[in-house]
Amino acid sequence: MQVNLKFHVNGTPVELTIEPHLTLLEVLRDQLALTGTKEGCGTGDCGACTVLVDGKPINSCLLLAVEADGQEITTVEGLVANGNLHPLQQAFIEQGGLQCGYCTPGMLMSAYALLKHNPNPDPEAIRESLAGNLCRCTGYDKIIRAVLSVAKVV
Amino acid sequence: MAKYHSVGLSIPRLDSDDKVRGEAIFGADFMMPNMLVAKYLPSPYAHAEILSIDTEKAEKLPGVRAVITARDIPSIKAFDPHSRFHAFLARKFAVFVGQPVAAVAADDLATAEEALELIKVDYKLLPVIATTEQALRPESFVVSHEPVTEPQASSGDTTNIFDEVLFQHGDLDAAFAASDFVLERTYTVPVVHQGYIEPHTFVAWWDRPSHVTVWEPTQGAFTARNMLASVLGIPHGNITLNTTEIGGGFGGKIEGLYAPIAILLAKKARKPVRLVLTRRDELLASNPAPHTTIRLKTGVRKDGTLTAIEADVVFDTGAFSNGWIMIHVTQALPHGYNWEAWRLKGSEVLTNKASISAYRAPGGPNTAFAIESQIDEMAHNLNMDPIELRLKNLTSREVALPQAQLQGGAKEVLQALVDKGAWNKTHRLPAKDERYLYGQGVAMGFWEGGGGPAGALALMEADGRFRILLGTVDLTGSFTGMAQIAAETLGVSASRVIMAKVNTDIAPFAPESSGSQTIYAMGSAVMEAAENLRKKIFDLAAFNLNVQPQDLAMGEEDIFVAAQPEKRITLDTLYQYGTDQLGLSGPLIGQGSAGKRKRTPAYSACVAEVSVDKETGKVRLLRLVNSQDVGKAINPLSIEGQMQGGSVQSVSIALWEEIQYTLEGQVRNPGLLDYRMPTANDLPFIETIILELPEADGPYGAKVVGEPSIVPPVAAVANAIANATGVRFLDLPITPERIWVGLKSK
Repeated sequence: MQVNLKFHVNGTPVELTIEPHLTLLEVLRDQLALTGTKEGCGTGDCGACTVLVDGKPINSCLLLAVEADGQEITTVEGLVANGNLHPLQQAFIEQGGLQCGYCTPGMLMSAYALLKHNPNPDPEAIRESLAGNLCRCTGYDKIIRAVLSVAKVV
Repeated sequence: MAKYHSVGLSIPRLDSDDKVRGEAIFGADFMMPNMLVAKYLPSPYAHAEILSIDTEKAEKLPGVRAVITARDIPSIKAFDPHSRFHAFLARKFAVFVGQPVAAVAADDLATAEEALELIKVDYKLLPVIATTEQALRPESFVVSHEPVTEPQASSGDTTNIFDEVLFQHGDLDAAFAASDFVLERTYTVPVVHQGYIEPHTFVAWWDRPSHVTVWEPTQGAFTARNMLASVLGIPHGNITLNTTEIGGGFGGKIEGLYAPIAILLAKKARKPVRLVLTRRDELLASNPAPHTTIRLKTGVRKDGTLTAIEADVVFDTGAFSNGWIMIHVTQALPHGYNWEAWRLKGSEVLTNKASISAYRAPGGPNTAFAIESQIDEMAHNLNMDPIELRLKNLTSREVALPQAQLQGGAKEVLQALVDKGAWNKTHRLPAKDERYLYGQGVAMGFWEGGGGPAGALALMEADGRFRILLGTVDLTGSFTGMAQIAAETLGVSASRVIMAKVNTDIAPFAPESSGSQTIYAMGSAVMEAAENLRKKIFDLAAFNLNVQPQDLAMGEEDIFVAAQPEKRITLDTLYQYGTDQLGLSGPLIGQGSAGKRKRTPAYSACVAEVSVDKETGKVRLLRLVNSQDVGKAINPLSIEGQMQGGSVQSVSIALWEEIQYTLEGQVRNPGLLDYRMPTANDLPFIETIILELPEADGPYGAKVVGEPSIVPPVAAVANAIANATGVRFLDLPITPERIWVGLKSK
């Protein structure tokens, strides 16, 4: 049995017919070729698959794609506007806020969601908001600094 | 000091634009038409004889394209029953939980998972050795790796001690007799995982009947290719190995564990196959870092002179030997300090657990936790400042090291912590809140790392840019550092250099990206290739401009006569000369072939400050300062990131991480909720002090960088907790429960 799915991804309307057991992560990666969103655990513990559903950060490995029906999904690919990086992306580059880069898309989405509702967070608020995104390379130092630097700009 | 225009700049990673856009292609992002999805069936038992495997139902499931078991492994002469890599599928015995027993390739993941449920394995359960204590009992059986297809290669082992070493120096009895105080303790470090966020991934495709191409996020393209050739008996020339972007490795992705499964499935299915491990697969049965038990006895005189060190290292290697980490853990114990005598015994012991492998400075944190805890306790007993005791006994740069080694900087990194105000000399932090105990701790560490050999090519590229061809992978930002090295050598800015990672068919030999050797050894090959190319460019330009090469200077896009800057030729023109039909030379190609370099012990020292909640036993890391000698900082931004990341992994070994095994050899916490890696919320900012002590053997004086930072913090945190609580914790991780019990029984 297949089901229909209608939603917006990065502002573009998308209509798909999918197997109902697929997660949002699988649909984004395998059907829409949006491979910027990563899988690190598949159990909602690492945050590598973080995307925004109607502006809220969620683990896309835990959400069945059908549950996203009618919603607005934003992935890391949606942060770029007209080919230009979002200031947060630019800050991650300049501050050294990434190393291997595997956690980076999820980390960016959590940070982006934070800045949407709290444009001027302190380091504690940033740490709290990013606590669901594991990074094994950086020790988080430069990630926090990258987000802080944007907070000051915005 | 020499002035450089590129080396020493904090340039962001060259690949960071791709990575923040989500466009970098990691293992699981690599797609091929008609690609199948693979899954393997893990053994549910730590030790069992496989009596039979029935795959018939799985094979008949619609959408299943291939099923393999050990019967599908080609028989090879060089089968090694002691090799973890030859055991990629269990043969007669499954020897640890999670060892693959069979594997399937199917049209999609759901079908592959369903197929695994249809495979019937008849196991005969055997007794399990879950700990080294059990393994060393004389009545215990021997962890067996008898093969099913190569009966002649039976392991024939008679003991679970796979390897033993003994290092001795001086008169140990006399040195202990001449000591005023002797301390003896036993320290344990549990199994921990490298914790890279990207799971192992393998894509294989037989593009010709006798030729296979593999894509995987491995740390060592050539190492992985060698492993495949050895395990499957495929000639090296019939394997093309491509490395994708790698989402962290830390030593856990050097050989590429399960590419043989994807390769055999791809052969049978005649289609490309991709195998992605789950996090559970990773935590059960990839290749974590070893459990060690280190009994350590040391002596000291009243004036703080260290005398003798005796150690007994019991190293749990799991079901297969790694080959060298136990030896290093043992022989590194006295390193850096001037001991009069030592006797160090190490045993590598087999158990029914996932076999261990490298994890960033393999075994370094285990060694440091033992020796640096003990020296700290010595200082406490002597009523001496722990930094003072260390400075008194550390080797100086003036002392000659064995010929194969460059000088270290042990005292300098430690002194830097004092000079930069990281150390509170009263050694007792003021209590800010009655509920909490506060403490600070210090520790030392070192890592030698690797030194090549390594090869690279430098090509003159159209439009006057330069292309560096190399077969290593960028784990740590090393490609950016190497672009800076090439740019410095060529005399242009790093933006003119293109780093081109190529596969094993095209690249000159590259060592694996491990042992902190990429800048040190691979960077040397890049520098040599750039020098060689520069000479050819200058010769050709001199010929064209009718001057001598030494009269010329390099501009960003052209070469000019230094005394007559209007007399110039563009680099693009030189490229045309080397490629045009009417050209004057052959293509401009620089060759770098760097031999093995000297060992370069790089030292790191660390101060940690903690608070301990008396009511809950919870530890909070308040401050961490890590000081490291890097020889020459090629890219300080990158190095800070390395030091911060390594420090946090080490803190985590002290406080949080442990793969917990039951006596049946089952993993109790095979998920990231229960296997506790640190989050952003667990940590302060991590302060770094970069020292540049002159070295000779690396490019522009660089030495190994990536690993030393993980060595000392584990002990600095333990020492800070001891300073705060007055209790010495000898078993890691130092959990709230252990602290609470320790405080109650004080």
